[in-house]
Parts: sequence; C-alpha cells; structure tokens
Amino acid sequence: MNQVFKFFILGIVAFSLITVTACQKDDDDMIDPGDEQEVITTVQLEFTPSAGGTALTFVFSDEDGPGGQAPAVDDIALSANTSYEVTVEFIDRSNPSDPEFITEEVQEEAEEHLVCYAVSGDVPAFTIKDQDANGDPLGLIAGVETGAAGTGTITVSLKHEPTKDGANACSTGETDVEAAFAVTVN
Amino acid sequence: MGNSTIQSGARMIILLILGSLNFFNGLQAQSCNLTIKGRVINAETGEPIPYANIIIESENIGTVSDDQGNYVIKDLCAGDYTLVCSRIDCDHAEHKLSINSTTSVIQDFILQPNVIELGTVEVKGQAAHLHSISGEDQLGKAAMAVTQGINLGESLDKLPGVNTLKTGSSIAKPLVQGMSGQRILIMNNGVRLEGQQWGLEHAPEIDPFVAEKLTVIKGAGGLRYGADALGGVILVEPKALPTQGGLHGAVNMAGFSQGRTGLVSGILETKFGEKIPISARIQGTAKRGGNMQTPDYFLDNTGLQEHNYSWALGTKKERWSAELYYSSFFSKLGIFSGAHIGNLTDLNNAIAREHPEDKSSFTYELGRPLQRIAHELFKAKVGLETGNAGTLSLQYARQFNRRQEFDAHSGYGTPPEGLDDPEIEFEVTTHSSELNWEHKPMGNLRGNIGAQLIQQTNTTDRGALIPNYESLTAGVYWIERWRHYPSPFELEGGLRYDIRQMDVGWQGRDSIGRSLDFSNFSSALGLIFKQTHWRTRLSVGTAWRAPHVNELYSEGVHHGSASYEAGNANLTPERALNTNLGIDWKPQNQAFQASLSLYYNLIDNYIFLEPSAEPVLTIRGAFPAFEYQQADARIMGLDAQVGWEIDPKIKWSAQTSLLRGWNRQLQDYLVFMPADRVSTTFRYQFKESEAGEQQPFVQLSANQVFRQSRTPAKGDYAPAPPAYLLFDLEAGTTLHLGKQPLEVGFTIFNLMNTRYREYLNRFRYFADEIGRNISLRVKVPF
Repeated sequence: MNQVFKFFILGIVAFSLITVTACQKDDDDMIDPGDEQEVITTVQLEFTPSAGGTALTFVFSDEDGPGGQAPAVDDIALSANTSYEVTVEFIDRSNPSDPEFITEEVQEEAEEHLVCYAVSGDVPAFTIKDQDANGDPLGLIAGVETGAAGTGTITVSLKHEPTKDGANACSTGETDVEAAFAVTVN
Repeated sequence: MGNSTIQSGARMIILLILGSLNFFNGLQAQSCNLTIKGRVINAETGEPIPYANIIIESENIGTVSDDQGNYVIKDLCAGDYTLVCSRIDCDHAEHKLSINSTTSVIQDFILQPNVIELGTVEVKGQAAHLHSISGEDQLGKAAMAVTQGINLGESLDKLPGVNTLKTGSSIAKPLVQGMSGQRILIMNNGVRLEGQQWGLEHAPEIDPFVAEKLTVIKGAGGLRYGADALGGVILVEPKALPTQGGLHGAVNMAGFSQGRTGLVSGILETKFGEKIPISARIQGTAKRGGNMQTPDYFLDNTGLQEHNYSWALGTKKERWSAELYYSSFFSKLGIFSGAHIGNLTDLNNAIAREHPEDKSSFTYELGRPLQRIAHELFKAKVGLETGNAGTLSLQYARQFNRRQEFDAHSGYGTPPEGLDDPEIEFEVTTHSSELNWEHKPMGNLRGNIGAQLIQQTNTTDRGALIPNYESLTAGVYWIERWRHYPSPFELEGGLRYDIRQMDVGWQGRDSIGRSLDFSNFSSALGLIFKQTHWRTRLSVGTAWRAPHVNELYSEGVHHGSASYEAGNANLTPERALNTNLGIDWKPQNQAFQASLSLYYNLIDNYIFLEPSAEPVLTIRGAFPAFEYQQADARIMGLDAQVGWEIDPKIKWSAQTSLLRGWNRQLQDYLVFMPADRVSTTFRYQFKESEAGEQQPFVQLSANQVFRQSRTPAKGDYAPAPPAYLLFDLEAGTTLHLGKQPLEVGFTIFNLMNTRYREYLNRFRYFADEIGRNISLRVKVPF
C-alpha cells in the first residue's frame, strides 16, 4: 500500500507543478485594438452600352461598416431601349488609402460564389454572362436590355457557397452583400 | 454509491418525515462548545451507513454521516437533547441524552434497514434543507447520472422552475424562473464562476462530472454568494474529500446514440499521513461526439470534444483545515452550419425551408463555425476553528477564461487556413477572495458575516463585440437565522452591500475610456412556519445588478440571429423585489407528499433588447435593429410537485411549472420565457431494496410542453413552435462481476423519435430538435 501512496503523492506533486506553472497568462495589453478583418464596404456597378458610349458607374458604399453613418447609394439612371453590359466590383474601402479589390478573390473562388440580380418594377431581368470552372453561372458580368421608360429597383447580392445547380440558387448560401439601388429608365 | 437516490432523497425530505417530537428541553445558559459524535451502523450487516441524517430537531441543527458512518454535531450548549437518526431506507432511531460537563458525548446509532425506498422522483422539488429559507431544489447523484454525460444545463433542466436556453443541440444555459446569464450566479465548488456568461450562446464552463450535487436556490436567497443573483444561485458541489485511507475511486463510461458520443470519466482518491493527514483526489473526463440527428436528417457540424481534469488536496485537523483545488475545462464544439446566415433574407429563406439546406451525414469532424473554450480555476481555502468565536474561513481563487469563436469563413482577405485564426476572442481573468466568519450561536441566533473582493480584466483580442474592461467588485454581507424551540417559527434575515467599479477601455478602434460606479444594498427576509405534516415558508428579498458591458456597449451585427444589436451607455442597474411562498405537505403514515412554490418577481429597470422602428441598412442588406432598453418588468409563476408511493414497488410523481413574464411599461410579454409544462413519471422497482446499492428499476416519464402563446408583439422572426409531448424511458440495475459491483443505466430520451422544435432554442428557425437518443452508462466504483 505504501508504494501506492508514494506513487499517488508523486503523481499529485508532478501534476500540480505542471498545471500551476501552465496556468495561462492574460498578459495582453488593454489597448490592443484587435485584428480587423477585410469587409466589403463598396459595391460598384458599371453599365456599358453594347452599342458603344460612355460607361455609367453607380456605387453603394458604407465605409464605416454596419451602424454609424448610413450607406450612400447612387440612383441608377439608364436609357430606354438600350442593351448594356454590366460589371460589378466589390471593394473594401475601410482604409481609404489602401482599397482592396475583393472582386479578385470572388473570381478566384468562383465556384463558391454567385452574384444575383433581383429586379422589380420596370427593370427587365439580368442575364448572367460569365461562368465558373464548373460551367455554372458566376455573375460578375451580366447583361440587361432596357425597354420603355419607367422606374424600379435592382438588388445585387453576393452569395457565398450557394447550391448553384438548384432551382433557386439565389435563395441558398450565405449572403455576403445585398445592395439595393433605385433605378430610373428614361 | 448505488443508493445515491436515497441518499439525497433522505437529506431532502428528512424534515418532512420526522415523527412527532414530544420532548421539551429546558435549556440552560451555559457554555456552548459541547460536541456529540458517533457512528451510524447497519443493524443487519454491522457495516457503517453513510449519508444518514442526524438531527436535533429542537435546535434546528443536523448533520449527515460521512462515508464511514461517522458524524459530529458541534457547538451545543449543555442540556437535554433528542437526537433523531434516519435514512430513507432504514427505520429511524431516536436517542435522548443530556450533556453537561464533558465536552464530547459519543452516541452511536444502529439502524434497521427497511423497505421504504423513494426513487429519483422524490429528489426533485423538495425544499426542506437546513441552510436556506427561500426556495431551494437539489439534484443528487442518481438523478444527475442520467444526464451527466450531456451537459450541466440538461441536468438542471430536471428541476422544477429551471429550464435551459439553448443554441442548437450542445449549448445549454440554465434559466431559473425565467432569468439566465448575468442574472444567475453559478458557484463552482464555492467559487463564483466568472466566464463569459453574458452571451446567449455561452454555456457554463463546468464539467458535470466534478459535481456530486447540484442545488438551485431560487429568488433572492443567495445573498451570501453575490448581489447579481436576481434569478437565483446554482451551487455545483463536489463530493467531500475522503477521510479514510486506501485508494478509492470510480470509472464512469457512457455512450449516446446521438452523435455516437462516448465519454470516460475517472476519479481517484485517497488519504495518507498521520500527523498531518492529507486527502487527495484527481479526476478527469474526456468526451467526443459527432453530428447529431433529428428524426429526419443529420445536423451538419454539431459534434463536440471536451476534456477536463481537476485535482484537490485537503487537510483537516481539530482546529484548522486547508484545501487546494484546480480544475481545467476545455471544450471545442461545432455550431450547426445551417444556422449560419448572412442577412435577414437568408434567415427568411431558412425559416421558409422545411429542412436545412445541407443534409449532412455522420462525421466526427468539426469544421467552422465553431467555439473553442478554455476555463481554468485555481482555489485555495483555509478554515480556522477559533474556539469561542466561531469558524473563520478565507478563500482565494483565480479564474482564467478564453473564448474563441470561429466564423464559417473569415470574411475576405485571409482564407480560413485552419483553426488558428478565430474571428472573436475574449480573455477574462478574475481574482476573487472571500472572508467568512460563522459566529458561535448566540442564544437562538446563528449567522455568517463576510466580505468578498473580485477583480476582473477582460481583453478582447479579436473582434469588437464588447470593449476591454477592468472591474472591481467589493461586497460585505451579514446573515442571521433565529429559531427558538418549541416555537414553530423560524426567521432568517440578511443584508448585503456591494460596490462595483468598472473602467471601460478600447472597443475595436474606438476608445470608450469611461469609468462607471455602481453600488447598492441587497437584502433578504424569510419566515418558516413548521407543523408536523406541513411547512410554509415565505421570503422577500431585494437584489440588484449593474448593467454588463455587452448591454452598455455591444455594437454590431449578430449573425446567428440576423440582428443588429446596439448597446446603451445610459443604462442604470436593475433592481428586483422577489417574493416567494412555498408549502410542503407530507401527511403522516401516508406514502404521499406534495409541494407548491409561488413566486412574484418585480424588476425595475429590467434590461432587454427592444426592436427599433428602423432597420439598419448595411452592405449585407437590411438588418432589424435592436437596442438595449430598460423597463419595469414582472415575472411570476408557480412550480408544483406531487409524489405518491402507490405500492412499495410502484411510485408515481408529477410536476408542473407555469411562468408569466410581462413588460409593465410596454404592456407586452417578455421574450425567451419558458412555455408552460407538465411532466409525470411512473417508476417500478423489481426488488424491494437492500441497503447500499441501486436495485433494478424501470421508469417511464412523459413531458408535455405547451406552445408559448405569450410572446412579444415585435422582434421575433417566426411564431413560437407548436406544443410537443416527449417520452423518456429509463432502466437501471447493479450487476456483480465477482465482488466488483457495476452500476448500469440505460436511458432512451425522446422514445417515440418525435419531431419538434422548442421555443427556448435559438436555432428553432433552422432545424428540428434532435431525435431519439439511446444511452448506456456503466459505473465501476472501487
């Protein structure tokens, strides 16, 4: 029995030494501002008339992130009966001197992303023109052909890990961006 | 150990079953430092009987025999006493004795085992205890064993008036009389648990296998433990350290069909040394589970890993005692990936879907999103019997808590390479010390005076959900209890004063730089009126709680719930006035008992999240906005329980809990209040009991939870789910392998594999609750 005790004492002593010395320290500075992650602050839509002409640029931007200042949103003005090629940029401008173009990362992980264009009112549906490596739609490039004058909205959303082969791919996955623009066609 | 049901049952109902005491004692005012001690022995086997209750009813004092059947009652004045010794599975024995000059009287008890055995069902809902007047419920070893492998919250859920606020299948926070989080104090082995309890998805960081007993003190009865306990105090108490030599312990093994979860927990203890006797214990638990399953589909990424260990060293001499304790808790748990959403549109899509998008399969692999939590506790305590003055104890504890949360994907820029890069990380270090003096009985008064000091530093290493802060809390308390035999009344009163000072520092890239001071009194007053067959207790208490930093300063989108939460720097402390009325009834010579507890809790400046009129527009879409607000609220309710031994082999019990939460200012219901529920249990015992071990039994319970129809008008995304009825089947016995006993238990939770959703689960928008769960557990004591 003495052996058992000795073993037990030894075990406890070793154990306590290890654990007491291994006690984790919280020596971080109180003013550590923490790691900031990259976020998308800006969605930029560019409409280029297919027949040629100046490209139109519209921006939804919320540089201070959620809360604080409300996002600034441009109203989209398009010409009636015109065919446009649409490209979208996602940008992180939380550090104004060093903007990050997230679009490149979306392009790199094209299989995991999908840009959706939901329309309402007098805005006609968008056609997605680009594809990922699997031949599924991506949406960084799209096309739209306006009809008669009117008003409506476009909601651009960036989906992460959607089920692209499903019937309603745009209602799956996690939404990283959802920017709504008011549209006037005249 | 197998008769633990009885042990705790016995402790609880002893006061109720005591027969008439027709003895009047004439107390003489003399020295009050006399001792009665002795041993409790089984009349048939001659073996010691542990956990027998030895009570001097006239003095309202008592004790419980230890593992070797020994007991001591101290601080008695000279006089005549009637000692009653009882255990629920034995006939009780009475001895009258008078003590005067000698300081120590030895009185042994020999108990005859009998056939009365009350099952697990009796453990619940009793309120007779020597320590607290306000309502109190306990869960002993046997009742705990069934759910111990799941988590602490699930074990507490068995008690009347206690529910759990869940996030998915593995995170459960206790909800006592409608209150949780910062409004509940959890005392882990005598130390106030300081983790990250403010978050709804932050479960208590405690290994359930450390505890031998769980006690819930409801209302404002926990004055001694702290001011914040508006809802109550949960005591997690380990077994006392061994007082005899030899190497003892137990191995627990359990398997659950849900998540193919397996766990092993072991405990080893001994005592050595003659001059300075040292008791020692080591304990450890390892657990691993994979994806859980609803009746129709697997829940993706719902596995967990947990490994915990603790050690304790203690020594006890006549005049002094010392104790060291260390515990480490580590848990890594997956968050159901179907609940990870980007914005309100995603949430509405999820609610509209019958099933989660991703029908998963079984795996033990854990991926993002997940939580990784480490909690350490180190405690040192010394006690000193000062002789004439009473008992003095001093305790110091250090806790360290690190919580890391890993998002589904870490935004853009840095792809989630591994689990080294959490999105949110908090570290909180807490030093707490307590000095308590239990003074010698003065006439009919017994009491405690003490002081507490808690220093806390919180560092947010990643994410800016809450700011960094340093806080200092100091409190003093004084509690007295009066009982004068033969008066049927007993009175308890206490007062506490706390000061809380908090310096708030950086939050993300902003400096808040504010210093906050709060202070106030808490108080409690209780009255017991005791008759032979019934007992009434009435208690009134006040409590207060300073707003926590998350309520003051949280700012940002809460992705789990698709809401934008804004703190409110102007919040003032909450203040509660709590009234409790309890009645326990046990007719003589009837195998029947009942108890009823009513509570009425008025809370001024109750802090809650109020939905704002305008949503917050972000680049992820519009989020409904919530802001922390204050209003006067009211929570009232009823917990009732009955037990009936129809036949020595058949026991029936039932319990119900009803609760109403009301915002008096907004004239609206409070959110996250438990729905009304009723449960009933039948238990069949195959053999009449032999002392000392668990006998074969089968038990069937039915739990009906009604639909929560009282929900706030605004702010919820989906209506409360419908009512549901669940059945649990349980069986247990003790097997013998040669001389080695094996305690075996078999339980099927959700027997009918019912598909349901629970209002108190925050993931009810996304998926069903888990289906049938079959568990087998074996305990090998040695």
